[in-house]
Amino acid sequence: MPMKGRFPIRRTLEYLQKGDIIFKNRVKIMTVNYNTHGELSDGARKFVFFNIPQIQYKNQWLQIMMFKNMTPSPFLKFYLDDGEQVLVDVEGKDHKQISQHVKKILGKSEEVLQAEARAKMQASNPANFGPKKYCLRECICEVEGQVPCPGSTPLPKEMTGKYRAQMAASHE
Amino acid sequence: MFQVISGRSIQVARLLAPRSAVLVEAVRGRKSRTDPVAKSKEGRIKVPPPVDPVEMVVLKERYTEYQLMMRALRLEFKEEVLRKKYEEETGSLAEERARQEAEEHRALMAFNNQENLRMLKLRILRIQKEKEEAERKQVEAAIQREQEQQESIKEKERDILKLQEEAKNFITLENLDQRIEEALDNPKNYNFAIDKEGRVVKQTMLQ
Repeated sequence: MPMKGRFPIRRTLEYLQKGDIIFKNRVKIMTVNYNTHGELSDGARKFVFFNIPQIQYKNQWLQIMMFKNMTPSPFLKFYLDDGEQVLVDVEGKDHKQISQHVKKILGKSEEVLQAEARAKMQASNPANFGPKKYCLRECICEVEGQVPCPGSTPLPKEMTGKYRAQMAASHE
Repeated sequence: MFQVISGRSIQVARLLAPRSAVLVEAVRGRKSRTDPVAKSKEGRIKVPPPVDPVEMVVLKERYTEYQLMMRALRLEFKEEVLRKKYEEETGSLAEERARQEAEEHRALMAFNNQENLRMLKLRILRIQKEKEEAERKQVEAAIQREQEQQESIKEKERDILKLQEEAKNFITLENLDQRIEEALDNPKNYNFAIDKEGRVVKQTMLQ
């Protein structure tokens, strides 16, 4: 039994990573009110079924709550961190329209995302040497094909500073 | 492991007049205070390495310079990082950015409100239409019911009339004798024949 549920593609990493709604840092809570029956709630139902996993994957710290059959018409409500509440009416809309609308009003724009990606790349440059927590390597001796660490195998005499100093002294 | 001591110490070591003025006593790193000194180290006097005063002066100078420079560099870099962070959060650029973001946010919220209003209007229209539909259906249903009632009444009336008509041909106590006479006088022949083509023949012999 490898596949679970009606549309197991929703559980694949590829599908989740394809989600393109990344909310601004100010959005803290998302609430979806929809009905389980009815033509008008269909778009909201599909949105919850298909798009919410993608959103939660991309916004791990966003709290998402779903309420069923509480109001006659479906809507989304976003709670920002300065107390502002944003109401989005989704009655009769298609789930694609809903996700586009939400992305437009509260999602990070393309340029912001690209700027962030660039900043992250700069911070995590593979050419940096440093503690294992932040960089890939600590010393050039860890790389294949370079001089091995003198701590494990002693360097040949000609490469030691002691010998070189001796030679320099004896030559003068 | 070695500590420099100036007061009471091992008398033997003092007698033997060590090379330098300071005496060094062993601090038991691995061994406990009850363990005896190793045989090969019994008479050993440990002294720190000799210090050349001229060299020491030169070295001290150079070291102070070097440490000064290193400390300065380090603090310089730290300050740069802090400054960057400060500017990032509360610099002039940051204020500009914050203002722009606030404006964009307002614009987007206005757009969202527009959408909501539009949906509201659509919804009101829809609800109105539905209400009208429901009313119309109700009225129609009432009419239908009325009609059906009328129809049923008419049916019943027709039935009554038919019955009244048929009542004229009923056999009652007065007609009884007459009807019996009539029936005996006119024998009716209910027999008939039919062939494969479907022709009906009623002229059969009465027996």
